[in-house]
Amino acid sequence: MELVFLAELAVNGAMTGLLYSLFAIGLVLIYKASSVPNLAQGALTMLGAYVVLAFADGLGMPLWVAIPLAAIVMFGLGFGIERVALRRLAGRPVIMILMMTLGLDIFLRGTTMAIWGATSASMELGVSYEPLFLGDLFISRIHLVGSIVTLVLFGAFMLFFRTRAGIKLKAIADDYTASWSVGISVERGVGLSWALASVVAVAAGVIWGEIQGVDQSLSLLLLKGLAVAVLGGLDSILGAVVAGIILGIIENVGANFLDPLVGGGSRDLIVAAVLILTVMIRPHGLFGRHDIERV
Amino acid sequence: MFYRLSGVYHTDYVSDSRIYGVPADRNMAAFCLIIGLAAPFIIPSLYLNSYMLPWLIWTAAALGLNLVTGWAGQLHLGYAAVMAVGAYSAIHAVRFGVPWEIALIIGGLAAAVIGSLFAFAALRVKGLYLALTTLAMQFIMDWVLTHSAAISGGSHASLQAPTLALLGQQITSDTGYYYVAFGWCLLVTIFMLNLKRTGLGRALVAVREKDYAAAILGVNSFYYKILAFATSSFIAGVSGALLVATFFFLAAPEQFSVNVSIQVLAMVIVGGLSSIIGSYFGVALILLVPGLVNSAVASISQGLGVQIGVETLAHIPNAIYGALIVIILLIEPLGLGKLYGNVRDYLMVWPFDQIRK
Amino acid sequence: MQEKPEVEPILSMNSVEVLYDNVMLAIKGVSVQVPRGEMIALLGSNGAGKSTTLKAISGLLKTERGRISRGEIRFEGADITEMLAQKRVERGICHVIEGRRVFEHLTPDENLTAAAPGGMSRAALHAEKEKIYAYFPRLAERRNSASGYLSGGEQQMLAIGRALVTQPRLLMLDEPSLGLAPFLVAEIFGIIQKINREEGVSILLVEQNALAALEIVSEGYLIENGRVVMHGTAEALKANSDIQEFYLGGGEGTDFHNVKHYSRRKRWLS
Repeated sequence: MELVFLAELAVNGAMTGLLYSLFAIGLVLIYKASSVPNLAQGALTMLGAYVVLAFADGLGMPLWVAIPLAAIVMFGLGFGIERVALRRLAGRPVIMILMMTLGLDIFLRGTTMAIWGATSASMELGVSYEPLFLGDLFISRIHLVGSIVTLVLFGAFMLFFRTRAGIKLKAIADDYTASWSVGISVERGVGLSWALASVVAVAAGVIWGEIQGVDQSLSLLLLKGLAVAVLGGLDSILGAVVAGIILGIIENVGANFLDPLVGGGSRDLIVAAVLILTVMIRPHGLFGRHDIERV
Repeated sequence: MFYRLSGVYHTDYVSDSRIYGVPADRNMAAFCLIIGLAAPFIIPSLYLNSYMLPWLIWTAAALGLNLVTGWAGQLHLGYAAVMAVGAYSAIHAVRFGVPWEIALIIGGLAAAVIGSLFAFAALRVKGLYLALTTLAMQFIMDWVLTHSAAISGGSHASLQAPTLALLGQQITSDTGYYYVAFGWCLLVTIFMLNLKRTGLGRALVAVREKDYAAAILGVNSFYYKILAFATSSFIAGVSGALLVATFFFLAAPEQFSVNVSIQVLAMVIVGGLSSIIGSYFGVALILLVPGLVNSAVASISQGLGVQIGVETLAHIPNAIYGALIVIILLIEPLGLGKLYGNVRDYLMVWPFDQIRK
Repeated sequence: MQEKPEVEPILSMNSVEVLYDNVMLAIKGVSVQVPRGEMIALLGSNGAGKSTTLKAISGLLKTERGRISRGEIRFEGADITEMLAQKRVERGICHVIEGRRVFEHLTPDENLTAAAPGGMSRAALHAEKEKIYAYFPRLAERRNSASGYLSGGEQQMLAIGRALVTQPRLLMLDEPSLGLAPFLVAEIFGIIQKINREEGVSILLVEQNALAALEIVSEGYLIENGRVVMHGTAEALKANSDIQEFYLGGGEGTDFHNVKHYSRRKRWLS
């Protein structure tokens, strides 16, 4: 195998992985505040893409107006979800909240499909399909754009968690009761985390919508986002980015070797295997907190 | 009212551990049993076949998941994969020439073996990590099914189920299918009803509440977790096999996809964790209500002359199914079983319930 | 003290009942008054209802499915019985909950930031932090290490410091001495006294360590079985023979062979 080809696989894999990180960042944001992986993140992403399209195609706005508008709408929706669905479940067992996110996932997907139909729509970002040449490497432009978006969001969140609002959010993640006792509004914090995750979902929806079209399959990327988030450690934004790169490389390179052997489709298998192995060997992931349970 | 009691006052452990704490419960169970037996003669065969039968089989399956999730407290998002193992093993066994009775048991045992693999994950992690692991295992099982032609009959093909035959009798009539499903569901229900009275049931609850603490009390949580997974997987396997034999007649990978796993879990949670009657309600709600509402919407829109797109109509059941989960969790996180319990408790002391709660 | 024409107490709690889960009556008609600028102690044994009383005042009952089913709580004249916990903190009530619940994954510095009220400016927060570090020099040394690794005493100090950031006028402390070495208890109690004097913060202290508490407070309430069974000045309580026997370790020269544990029942328990 040529080294250049391997490098190309790795680089493109890493960039695809960074796009998975867009899901993972959303998952981490919500996990930090509510200690559950948000299984509705895939549905939110899909909804985000459709809302962008509704503004762009439906109302004829240019994309640079439609995307921020969609982000605002989704931000509000995130708060709404907390208010309506999650507030009453605060303090309930994890399984209930997990089931609630599943219910939301099914509901949002069903509603989105009922409104916009199942046929795939396209998101025209205007990024050229011409590959970019970096020395001898072919690089997909849209993946590059997406990777940059991920890194920008990552930087923004790292800064956010140093602000007062960000620190309050981290405090909520640590201890609900102690947060209440010093006047932090846990409800508002959880709502904010959902709102931010919904905005991230818009970004993911736009990039992935451009890559594979806007339809129900967007929500299926959730598994990859989950694998990335778990590998990175469910509560670490940095982990989500690093693990995205790692998973992307493993997946791309691995699939290249495995596909001929098993007749294709080994990507999902690799992702599922990474997820299982992470949980078995190192449940708190690469950068996650290691909490000890006591009797 | 029909309870004719004013509360339950047990005076010894024997009465406390009876299956029916109240005579009225026993009467009601007997009534349901009679209705169940008589169903083929009172319910039109179309409804019998398309509503009653799947309801009973899914209830049996949901009870199996309830054993592991409700009683033993282990989150399981790969239950459909285990059902698939049972279904495919049983069908292949029958095609190989094994009689159905034994094939069903083979299916159950095969599912129990694979299901115990899930249990090894449960030994290592718990809570949502277990949920994620079982979810990933479900994806791997899906992948194996769709990619191995030897099992599934090719990636887009499906596997024809041979005609069901039990005790030397070919079963081909709707009534026959119904009784098979009814018998299986009854069997599982009786097993589950008795579970809480056995050492196994108590051990499982101990493991659920705190596995460390259970271990200190001398409950071997390792052993009981595996036992719980194996038992539940056995139920899943047989239910899966019966589902194909009496309802689908064809086995295809998408009948046991991740969405189905989620659906069974939804049935259990909506019904209420570790509630047996709740599982019946939960399955009925998740399985039947979306379709009913959809046809209601369709007919109302027709009546009003409003055009609703075909695609919209096709996706309304999904939206309703999701909404049902959300609403039930909001109204009563402990599910329909708990709601039923509330009503029962209210009626039990009625009209002497003047104490403000 | 009692005879003085009473200025309005900063906190007055009138025959409050608390119900957990709609069934368990945890406190049964407790009335407590905290005069402005004073230090008051709630004494009593385990499970007597002291913590529940504090939670009723701070609004944290809701997190444990509890609610106030009767009575009212007034803070600076306003009825706060039904108010959200967060609003009560804004009004100036801060509750240092039991068990040193600091934000373990945050540094002490971030712990203090997290508690800052919405409107507090950056400069004001900085000044506030410096003031707190002056009270607790030990914290200043470790301001940037993870709070989970602080010692028990340091965590308790951080919890108190974090509460001070919210600018309370009534500070409620739930068992600050729990599990701490005696010299640390003395240090922390000294600082609490200092805060009370210098900041004019009224303090409601819950303690099992009655001996230490009665040294620094002006009045005490004794709670048993969810009821106030005794109320008086610290001196009066210290002098009371029942208190001495049951809460202060038997008074002087106790011969442990002859302790009449059950010969003298706690009369107030019926």
